[in-house]
Amino acid sequence: MTPTGIWLSAIGTLAIFSFLYKDNPLYRATEQILVGLSVGYLIVMTFQSTLIPRVVEPVQNLEAWGFVSAIWVLLMWTRLSAKYNYISRWPLAIIVGAGAGLSIPAMLKARIITQLGATIRPDITIDVIIGAVGVISTLSYFYFTRPQTGPFRVASKLGTLYLMVFFGATFGYTIMSRLSLLIGRTEFLLGSWLGIL
Amino acid sequence: MNLAQLDRRWIFAIIALSVALPLMFPIGLTGEVSPGTRTFHTLIENLGPEDVIIVSFDCEASSWPEIGPVATVLLRHVLERGVKVVGTSFLSEGTALGYDLLATLEAEVGGEYGGDWVYLGFRPQYVATMLALGEDMQSEYPRDYLGQSTGDLPLLQSVKSYRQIRLVISIADDTMPQYWIEYAGARYGVAIAAGLSAVMVTTFTPYLDSGQLKSILAGLKGAAEYEIMRGERGAGLRGMDAQSSAHLAIIILVLVGNIAYFMKRKDT
Repeated sequence: MTPTGIWLSAIGTLAIFSFLYKDNPLYRATEQILVGLSVGYLIVMTFQSTLIPRVVEPVQNLEAWGFVSAIWVLLMWTRLSAKYNYISRWPLAIIVGAGAGLSIPAMLKARIITQLGATIRPDITIDVIIGAVGVISTLSYFYFTRPQTGPFRVASKLGTLYLMVFFGATFGYTIMSRLSLLIGRTEFLLGSWLGIL
Repeated sequence: MNLAQLDRRWIFAIIALSVALPLMFPIGLTGEVSPGTRTFHTLIENLGPEDVIIVSFDCEASSWPEIGPVATVLLRHVLERGVKVVGTSFLSEGTALGYDLLATLEAEVGGEYGGDWVYLGFRPQYVATMLALGEDMQSEYPRDYLGQSTGDLPLLQSVKSYRQIRLVISIADDTMPQYWIEYAGARYGVAIAAGLSAVMVTTFTPYLDSGQLKSILAGLKGAAEYEIMRGERGAGLRGMDAQSSAHLAIIILVLVGNIAYFMKRKDT
């Protein structure tokens, strides 16, 4: 990173950290710059990596698929017209239809069928038993179409315990994750910027 | 002193000191290598110069301080094994970070762009792209990140789709590995592994148990463990002192907070 980059990065980091003391204009300005930069970068990247090679260049080369893509892109812009905005639903319908058609079988296989197969296995070990009991009891907690009484209530309460363990583990990992970010920025400030490390 | 009315900025200051002081005065804590890290190490050890993998930088710049050390230690190992790499990204901010990292590490091992590695760059529609990579890589990416025609890159002469890909590693701070599992793993049978931020571990552990993910390496701790296995001291190990002391500070603060709460409840 160049010295200018290091200084800009350090000032940005300190400006964001200044919120920990109290809200201030420098923090808000830096936050807005960050949002603006992220969105601007995304637009430029999308334009360069997708629109130019997939729409602009094929149209310039008079390729049929380029014109098809360009027409659907232009139809999306009818959303800005009060009179013709219904036309923008046609390309959206294709996106939703194709998206659902592609994702439903893939999700069913990966998220449900394979995971279910891994939960109920023929090799009975303590891990498998703990996992299977956890799945059944947690599902029973989310089963709301009958009153949670008797054995069903016991299973539901056990499901709550499993959920608490999951939330605790996730929260622990979240703290670890956020601290790693703080460590990274502190190392940058002390090392790359101040040269202490 | 009433702890319940303690200004929270004191807590911020304690955490800041608990992170900064160990960085300035390192103790050299290491810890043990977990079985998960060993599995990932073995996975990479089983790759060789004849293998091609996809490395996808599915992360934002904001999580780079955590995910960067994971990506660095993993990819250094991959490249030292002589494995060919096809780089890609499904989050815009990860694109440049991924390219810079790969270019730096390839320069370390003397890798040549086009022959040893290529970088395809960013695509916003990840589902369509992941599926298209299973059919024809070059038609999905007519140009690479540098604007060169992918048809002119020697590596992509032999790599046409997932059929020539031995492994996909998603460097991710979010749920992108799930899509790799669904659209590349479940549909095309490609092996998937992930370098993750720690916060995503509980989301992906079930996929590890079912074998849909071959291995995960998560967070600064995961990077530190991998560095121990590799015998190098990188950002992961450097951060372990600070992470341990900050965890200790948080545990003490939680205990003190709870004691103060129960004492106050007893008084009232």
